[in-house]
Amino acid sequence: MQLSDRVTGLFLVALGGVAAYGGSRLPPVPGQQIGPEVFPMIVGISLAICGGLIAAGVGRRYENEAEAELTEATGQTEDAPDAAEPSPSRWRELWVLLPPVLLIFYVYVVDWLGFLPTAAAIVLVTSLALGARWRLAIPVAIVAPLVINLLFLQLLRVPLPSGLLPLPWIGLP
Amino acid sequence: MSEIAQGFGLVFQSDVLLAILFASIYGLIVGAVPGLTATMATALLVPITFYLPPIAAIGAIISSSAMAIFSGDIPGALLRIPGTPASAAYTDEAYAMTRKGRPELALGIGLWFSALGGIFGTLALMALAPPLASMALRFSTFEYFWLAFLGLMCATLVSRSSPVKAIASMLLGLLVSCIGIENPAGTPRFTFGNTNLLGGIEVIPALVGVFAVSEVMRAMLTAEPPKPERRRLGSILAGQWALTKQYPKQQFRGNIIGVLIGVLPGAGADIAAWVAYSVSKRFSKEPQKFGTGHPEGLIESGSGNNSALAAGWVPALLFGIPGDTITAIAIGVLYMKGLNPGPTLFTEQASSMYALYIIFILANILMIPLGIAMIRASSHVLRAPRASVMPVIVLLCAVGAFATGNNLFAVLTVAAFGVIGYVMERNGYPVAAMVLGIIMGTMVEQNLVTSIMKSDGSIIPFFNRPVAAVLAAMTIAALLWPVAAWGLKRVRAQAA
Repeated sequence: MQLSDRVTGLFLVALGGVAAYGGSRLPPVPGQQIGPEVFPMIVGISLAICGGLIAAGVGRRYENEAEAELTEATGQTEDAPDAAEPSPSRWRELWVLLPPVLLIFYVYVVDWLGFLPTAAAIVLVTSLALGARWRLAIPVAIVAPLVINLLFLQLLRVPLPSGLLPLPWIGLP
Repeated sequence: MSEIAQGFGLVFQSDVLLAILFASIYGLIVGAVPGLTATMATALLVPITFYLPPIAAIGAIISSSAMAIFSGDIPGALLRIPGTPASAAYTDEAYAMTRKGRPELALGIGLWFSALGGIFGTLALMALAPPLASMALRFSTFEYFWLAFLGLMCATLVSRSSPVKAIASMLLGLLVSCIGIENPAGTPRFTFGNTNLLGGIEVIPALVGVFAVSEVMRAMLTAEPPKPERRRLGSILAGQWALTKQYPKQQFRGNIIGVLIGVLPGAGADIAAWVAYSVSKRFSKEPQKFGTGHPEGLIESGSGNNSALAAGWVPALLFGIPGDTITAIAIGVLYMKGLNPGPTLFTEQASSMYALYIIFILANILMIPLGIAMIRASSHVLRAPRASVMPVIVLLCAVGAFATGNNLFAVLTVAAFGVIGYVMERNGYPVAAMVLGIIMGTMVEQNLVTSIMKSDGSIIPFFNRPVAAVLAAMTIAALLWPVAAWGLKRVRAQAA
């Protein structure tokens, strides 16, 4: 998701513009000289200006300098592991979306399925995606949810949804 | 005097001491694992502090962050991978020392001078806070507006990136803070009819997303860091006293740089380490030795990053303006625990303040034995496969965010900010600036609007009160600095 400065800059111009427009449409508060619309408008307009400058390439020199300094200081660029590999293909790059997708999965499934199975699935998938063998991934997927559930339930008194598979030793009289 | 005694009484209780101990061990482990930062350690700890009594909660935050900043040096010295960004400045130096066969010396310097730096930073906090507090009591909204604005500008100035992008990140954070009805007019803004957005974007889930989820996302693409070879380490503290006596100036200068940068709103331990390292090289009698495993730079920057950490609490406690990303989180915890930051904290809750100082000192003393144990155990901790650590982080993100409000919407916030943080980082937008924008947006707006109302729409009072004028000048200078620097270079280039 490395985009050119032109793309991110223009995106910020659009975002700032929309924010300023959206802000300007907010209803004023009677009797107040300065209503809720002022701050979003200031921020939105400034953001649009910054976006324009970025798209035009202003300030790029600083980044190059910081990078050069970093390379000089550590002998490697900040994301050296990245650089060592052939640059990831577009497909490979999509893998980075896995953690947020799993969190969304958690939100929509946990109440129905329960914490333990949901968490186990999340751990298993993340672990395998990071190149673990089943021999490692399965024990982690079983132990980690149990420990976290116990920690939150016993220590912090936060009940996590039990769903289809409650913790084996609670719910007993 | 009785307040100091009360402070000791508050700290020396079993739950507080236990919280400090466990948080220290947790901080040491998280800091040592490459890819898990001190800020992430603190962010993931917050949901747990929800359920602790106030002093125990603050103690946990202080000790885990101090330990994590030190233990970031461990993989730096052994693997040439900084455990936290605060160690990045001198990773190469420490690794060079390891290659010369003296890893214990590099790690010992990290440990010893971190602990001393932390104690120095605490003393600076104790010395600076009360006089500043009595000054701050006279501040009105004009001064607070400039102070908050100055904090935001400092955050953009010191980021190691293009200043324009840093300002854009900060504005993005301010825009996020506009969401919800938490504004002086109480009008719902940018909620798109979603009731979950009425209360605004919660800070803690956003932080967890930006600092933890995006880190896991990055791990998806990068190769697993190498494992350290097993080696027997000699005595860790041997020779440290001799170094202390040999390089007193470097240590002192590192501490001072750390305190100055820490006090500056928005700049924290990582910047302090970079500055201290380059200052050390600049003023060294033997700069050619830098980068070859020379202790001087290590001493100065190792002292710097830990003293910055403690000094970062000065603006946080006095004004509610974070000194760095870790205190940004800590401010949230302070509010949560009824210790609202502000100058009155030092008069009304003096015993809690003493407790906080005591915890700082205690944590930095505790750092030495625990740090030695951690260094000895490091070959095991660093061998933990990433595929077993990262999934647990994902899980903690989900559960922790949920636990802060028993609300699943917070987990969606975490996911969204994970993506935002990742994309920003990837394209050179500093996320720390955005985080400060999110945290301080409400404060900036509140003080701006109140000030304008008080002055009946005039902007003159923003400049004609003495302290406000000074702060305004500093803010404008910070805003114009990149432009001036650019212009100066341009002129010089043309002259040459």
